[in-house]
Amino acid sequence: MADVLSVGVNLEAFAQAISAIQALRSSVSRVFDCLKDGMRNKETLEGREKAFIAHFQDNLHSVNRDLNELERLSNLVGKPSENHPLHNSGLLSLDPVQDKTPLYSQLLQAYKWSNKLQYHAGLASGLLNQQSLKRSANQMGVSAKRRPKAQPTTLVLPPQYVDDVISRIDRMFPEMSIHLSRPNGTSAMLLVTLGKVLKVIVVMRSLFIDRTIVKGYNENVYAEDGKLDIWSKSNYQVFQKVTDHATTALLHYQLPQMPDVVVRSFMTWLRSYIKLFQAPCQRCGKFLQDGLPPTWRDFRTLEAFHDTCRQ
Amino acid sequence: MRPFLLEGGSVSQMPVAEGKSVQQTVELLTRKLEMLGAEKQGTFCVDCETYHTAASTLGSQGQAGKLMYVMHNSEYPLSCFALFENGPCLVADTNFDVLMVKLKGFFQSAKASKIETRGTRYQYCDFLVKVGTVTMGPSARGISVEVEYGPCVVASDCWSLLLEFLQSFLGSHTPGAPTVFGNRHDAVYSPADTMVQYMELFNKIRKQQQVPVAGIR
Ligand SMILES: [Zn+2]
Repeated sequence: MADVLSVGVNLEAFAQAISAIQALRSSVSRVFDCLKDGMRNKETLEGREKAFIAHFQDNLHSVNRDLNELERLSNLVGKPSENHPLHNSGLLSLDPVQDKTPLYSQLLQAYKWSNKLQYHAGLASGLLNQQSLKRSANQMGVSAKRRPKAQPTTLVLPPQYVDDVISRIDRMFPEMSIHLSRPNGTSAMLLVTLGKVLKVIVVMRSLFIDRTIVKGYNENVYAEDGKLDIWSKSNYQVFQKVTDHATTALLHYQLPQMPDVVVRSFMTWLRSYIKLFQAPCQRCGKFLQDGLPPTWRDFRTLEAFHDTCRQ
Repeated sequence: MRPFLLEGGSVSQMPVAEGKSVQQTVELLTRKLEMLGAEKQGTFCVDCETYHTAASTLGSQGQAGKLMYVMHNSEYPLSCFALFENGPCLVADTNFDVLMVKLKGFFQSAKASKIETRGTRYQYCDFLVKVGTVTMGPSARGISVEVEYGPCVVASDCWSLLLEFLQSFLGSHTPGAPTVFGNRHDAVYSPADTMVQYMELFNKIRKQQQVPVAGIR
């Protein structure tokens, strides 16, 4: 702290300035003392007036002199506050009652903490950008900054647009059939049938996937009222596991600016389950681990792994 | 549904100690299953009765009599299965038994032909394993092992997976793929497919009936 103060601060001048202030204060109080006391007893009225004015003048002169001296010294003292990295808040370090008001140390800690936070947030943002889809990685970084208010508009896409996107995806994958319905108003629900392996119920909000449930090919996907049953889980452990992984995939494939790419990526990933019972684990080479086939599919390579065999 | 039956012969090749009975082999198998982590889930029973075409109808058609098998499976308590060897499998409800009595003139029950397998169901993850003792009359003739992998509906899709599972409790004494796996490539498995396999297993065991059980190893 001594280092900080010595920069640009003339301590000698500082001490002199303080005594100059004291001098100024006492000369000012003398002026008021003089005014308070008024005219002293003198033989003649004229003599009284003369003595008072002379005394008053003297006092004003000394105020003037002390003020000038203080101004001169204040230029010598310099401007410590502007050289301090924390600007005026750095002056808190001069507070002598540190124990009662540890404001300065708290301030420094908060400053360091916020610096670190910014640094780590920067690192995390860099890493997360690497994880996103290649074709859209740049888009994400740029558009997130420049068009921060674009997201709400994608929530109100016209149903026709959603229909088009889904039917295009449906045509992309012959072994996968997608049936779109809107049992509850504008939000679409998809029933995806993948070969003779599994069925997936996908609950959409506009073009965003809200929820997904994976069931067996021979399991019932409808509730008693004839609508898609979006709540009950599969009776088979293997499909419960795949449901968990599909939910993870929803969190992975995130691209708020291009929801159609997200849906397409998710469906591409989902399609790799066509070999759910036929693909051995790419790590241990086995079909079964704890009675389950490799239920995990790598987000990029789409390779099959057991839940415990993936990195 | 993905049942798979181990014929008695295959199981008998398990390296059990000299003189081990069918019952002891069943115990060995179930102990292995329990060690694997499989849990008991009740019992099961599959039975089969053989019917001959009655002599009176034979003459008019001038053909050799066909055998018909009428089977029940506790897994489908409301159904009755009628099968011909290499022929169609009829799935009816249990009233079919009454009908067979009325059809005495055309189909006659073969004497002492009833064969059945009874045992315990085991659940391991999504696998359902049924180890049963096959009996004809009073005597134990062999062991049936049925493995069903519920999540998969196409038999050929999960054969490798099933084989790995079978090896985990049968060791190296696992059989080749049953014919039903190769027949129809992507057909959805049905209960009738299970019954056909049980019928084939029972027929095999009937032909071995002269062989004393203790000799099957
Ligand atoms: Zn593995």
